[in-house]
Formats: sequence, structure tokens, C-alpha cells
Amino acid sequence: MNVPTEYFVALSAVLFGLGAVGVIVRRSAILVFLSIELMLNAANLAIVAYARQWSATGGIHALEGQGAVFIVLAVAAAEVAVGLGILVAIFRYRVTTDVDQLSEVRA
Amino acid sequence: MIGFLILAVAAVAGAVLVVTARQPVHAALGLVGTLLSVAVAYIMLDAHFLAAIQVIVYAGAIMVLFLFVIMLLNVERQPGAVRWRWLRPVVYGVGLLGAVAVAATALLGTRPVPDRATVDAVLQGGIPERIGTVLFSEYLLAFHLVAVLLLTGVVAAVSLVQRSGDEPGTEAAAAAAQVDQGIGEPA
Repeated sequence: MNVPTEYFVALSAVLFGLGAVGVIVRRSAILVFLSIELMLNAANLAIVAYARQWSATGGIHALEGQGAVFIVLAVAAAEVAVGLGILVAIFRYRVTTDVDQLSEVRA
Repeated sequence: MIGFLILAVAAVAGAVLVVTARQPVHAALGLVGTLLSVAVAYIMLDAHFLAAIQVIVYAGAIMVLFLFVIMLLNVERQPGAVRWRWLRPVVYGVGLLGAVAVAATALLGTRPVPDRATVDAVLQGGIPERIGTVLFSEYLLAFHLVAVLLLTGVVAAVSLVQRSGDEPGTEAAAAAAQVDQGIGEPA
């Protein structure tokens, strides 16, 4: 049950790497967004893992990591709402979401 | 430990699907798998409230929004010319190298995990009461700013997909109205 913190951090690193690769390799803007979500989750996982490690020092401060993850979740929700709104707006003007063809964003 | 390995394999498999799947819907479903795996990891890390929030907000609301937009925009693989053909193998190589390097660095020096009693006493399983205590003391300003951010996000999302009357097209307008409803929910 007591999996070392470093194992979770390693998993987080792999997920973050895959997300970063996806951001660069993927051509559809929606899939770039999905990859960004993957990176956000990897970072959250690392924060929660370190929050447990930090609990050895005692005190309420160990919970600040989990509080931070809560805030990141809320920000991610707002980001997705606005980002997908932008995507739909762009799709309406140019009928594509290929980021190679969206090198200039003008209304 | 075996549980963690199964979890890690599931999470990485979902992430690989996100990067490689040809159908956008398959990529989204792969991300759902990864998100659920991360939720299980949160439970293993004594963050039960965050695990519940992860399933409800991420795997629920946000992914539904993604699937909505994927099906709405009907993204297909356009046969456009691929620029920078060398980019793909280079990025795969660099990404693999970076992930392996960080993972190896993390795995080389494992510190002892705090014992069960300490974790239980401090985190208390990450119940909402404890997280709320932190949220309304240390993170009070951030909490207020998030509230403002969510309000701004809703207004921005609605105004972005709003149509001014003179534009042609009825199908896209009906679709935009659907997205408006979808966007309003997670906030």
C-alpha cells in the first residue's frame, strides 16, 4: 500500500512527457487541447504525491498541496470552456481546426 | 505495489492513445481512462475528496464538453500537406528521453514514505473538511480569484460563440447554441 512518492512522480513525468509530445505532434487544435489536459493532470498528480510526502512534517500545511490541486482543477475547467469557445469561433470563420493552417488568427 | 503497476500501465496506455489515436473520439476516450487512473492514484495518496472531484469535474463535465465539440466540429483527418516532416520523430525522441530522464532521476533516490499513522493524522484521508480549512484560510484570495475567473469564463465563452444577426448559416448557429449550454455547466 505504501508506494514511494517517487514512483508517482515518475508516472507523472511520463504522462507529462506524453502530453508535451502530443501538443507538438497533433495537428487538430482539439487534440492539442486534450494533450494540454493530460499535462495538467500529470502536474496535479505530482503535487498530490508530494503533499503526502510532506505530511511527515505534520501540521495543516501538508494539505496545501491538495488545496492547490483543487484550484488548478477550477482553472482547468474555466480554460476548457473558454478554449473550446475560441475553437468553435475559429471553426466558424475557417472551416478547419488544423493548427498548421491557423498560423494567423484574425477575425 | 502491484496495484500501482496496473494503475500506471492503464494511465500510460490512455495517454498513448491520446497522442496516437487517429479518431479524435478515441483520443478523448483514452484521456478519460487516464483521468480515471489518476483518480485512483489520488485515492492511493489519501486524497479522497480530490479523487471524487476528479471523476465528477474532469471525467464528467470537462470530457463531455470535449466530446460535444469533437462531434460538433466533425473533425476529420484533412489530407493537408504535412510541414516539417522531420519534426515528428525528433519530438518523439526528445519526449521519450525527457520522460525517461526525469523518471530515472525520481526513481534513483527513493525516500521513505511517512508511516500510515502520520499520514492519517495529518491528511485525514483528504476529507472535504480539511481541504475546506486550507481553502478558506491559506488560499482565500486564490479562492475568490477563481470565482471571478469562472464568471469571466462563462461570459467569455458565451460572447465568443454568440452570433451577430447578419451572419449567414443556420446549422452553425444552432450548434453554437448547444455549445453555449454545454459550456455553462462545468462552471
